[in-house]
Amino acid sequence: MRERLISRANAGADALSKRVTLIDCDVHPYLRYADELRDYMREPWRSRAIPSRRQIYLPPGDGRRLDAFPDDGAPAGADPLMMEKQVLRGIGADYLVLIPSSSVSIIPDPTFAAEVARAWNDWQLDTWLGKYNWHGRYKSSIVIAPQHPERAVEEIERLAGHPHLVQVLVGSSAPAAYGKRQYHPIWEAAARHSLPVALHVESPVGPSPPTPLGYPTYFLEFHTLYPAIYMTHLVSLIAEGVFEKYPAFKFVFVEGGSAWLAPIMWRMDKDWRGARSEVPWLKRKPSDYLRDHIRFSTQPIEEPDNPRHLLQIFDMMDAEHVLMFASDYPHWDFDDPQRAFPRMPAALKRRIFCENARELYNLPATRPVDDLDSVASSAQPTAPEATD
Amino acid sequence: MARYIVGSVSELPPSSRRIVSVKGREIGVFNVKGRYYALRNLCPHQGAPLCRGELTGLAWSDEPGEIEWTRAGEILRCPWHGWEFDIRTGSTVFQSRARVKTYDVHIEKAALERLIEGVETYPVRVEDEVVILEY
Repeated sequence: MRERLISRANAGADALSKRVTLIDCDVHPYLRYADELRDYMREPWRSRAIPSRRQIYLPPGDGRRLDAFPDDGAPAGADPLMMEKQVLRGIGADYLVLIPSSSVSIIPDPTFAAEVARAWNDWQLDTWLGKYNWHGRYKSSIVIAPQHPERAVEEIERLAGHPHLVQVLVGSSAPAAYGKRQYHPIWEAAARHSLPVALHVESPVGPSPPTPLGYPTYFLEFHTLYPAIYMTHLVSLIAEGVFEKYPAFKFVFVEGGSAWLAPIMWRMDKDWRGARSEVPWLKRKPSDYLRDHIRFSTQPIEEPDNPRHLLQIFDMMDAEHVLMFASDYPHWDFDDPQRAFPRMPAALKRRIFCENARELYNLPATRPVDDLDSVASSAQPTAPEATD
Repeated sequence: MARYIVGSVSELPPSSRRIVSVKGREIGVFNVKGRYYALRNLCPHQGAPLCRGELTGLAWSDEPGEIEWTRAGEILRCPWHGWEFDIRTGSTVFQSRARVKTYDVHIEKAALERLIEGVETYPVRVEDEVVILEY
């Protein structure tokens, strides 16, 4: 690491730059060891055990890519060299949007949850956004505890403006759908600081069960049904008028799939035509809020038997404007940008792999060439394009 | 354009409606607070008998959670899927291309010697003011 820092200093006058072509919107940095977070906690919480993620459904590989574990025994996703090797160089990503797997939403004590969220943020400022981020290609998410709106707003105020914190993060398990008014002060703060809010799935154990019918039997069901919760939050955010109330507010659905989007919006649009008087603050039909306010990440991308069907779905859901590539590294269901997608027209591919995220997170069109590029000069993303 | 007598003014008091048939087309004629409106009795969405729907007002809002009640009695709500139509224009209150045909209605004082083509067969006394539908 130190060598890299020196090398970067030496290269400081290097004006070489590279066009940004691939942004990965869902990468998980992990603690090196569970107690690492305690170093960033304040008393009296520092002396307590921190409630941890409960793995009651067992994914393949315990949820990790088995080749993502470094030799020193650290957890997958905890080692910056592995991250550089497998993501920055491995798939040729220019920027990573990090999503710490904090699971603060499962902590019943709102104050404790807010303290843990704060510790996650100080940890990432010190590590992934600090000493690991010599190249400046890690962007990340402000962890908040939405069960404590006042503290969540404070945390946004404390950290907004940091050049590498590009969004606010909440978990999918919540005591109430995110359109409800108890959350509005949080969304107001995020919108005021031009920070999108990203929702990511968390532990199945939390303030709400993972499906509307409680706890399914198998991991297969749990994982397949992420959209049930995502749909509920999406419909709530639109129906409650959050995007009318805060015109700058943007929301990102990460890891909940997206192929379901067009049908649920058709349904909401249709119902709204009859039930409009109930929600008269909606000045446009519900699906019209998507392009201006809502984004989805690709992973885990749906893989229909006929890949062309996915392109038809992309067309129906306006993927050109709402969909952003994500790999979910280092998780077991990682999507490789070169292999996970059907052949796409070049313009659509560029929107999904780069431009939608670049616009949302206000990332530059070019970035400085760094040491990782010389190692990986042949590893530019080359997902297949339609040749005709 | 033909003109039809819908009925006498006394037969169409405020807050009442009649559904009449003209050349096989059903048309609803409404008296809303002394103003008359006529719309085709056919919802452009799925063909419901629109003019049997509830006459209501317009819920409006510029602040999520707060609702104003405006234009009481001027919104016709389809009895099937609840689409709201502006009774003055036939347009949906939400943005859409759907529109129900509207007709001019006014009152005249015993203007016509005789019903041109009786929409309904009830008698109209010539000394009454009558409601005229332009079709």
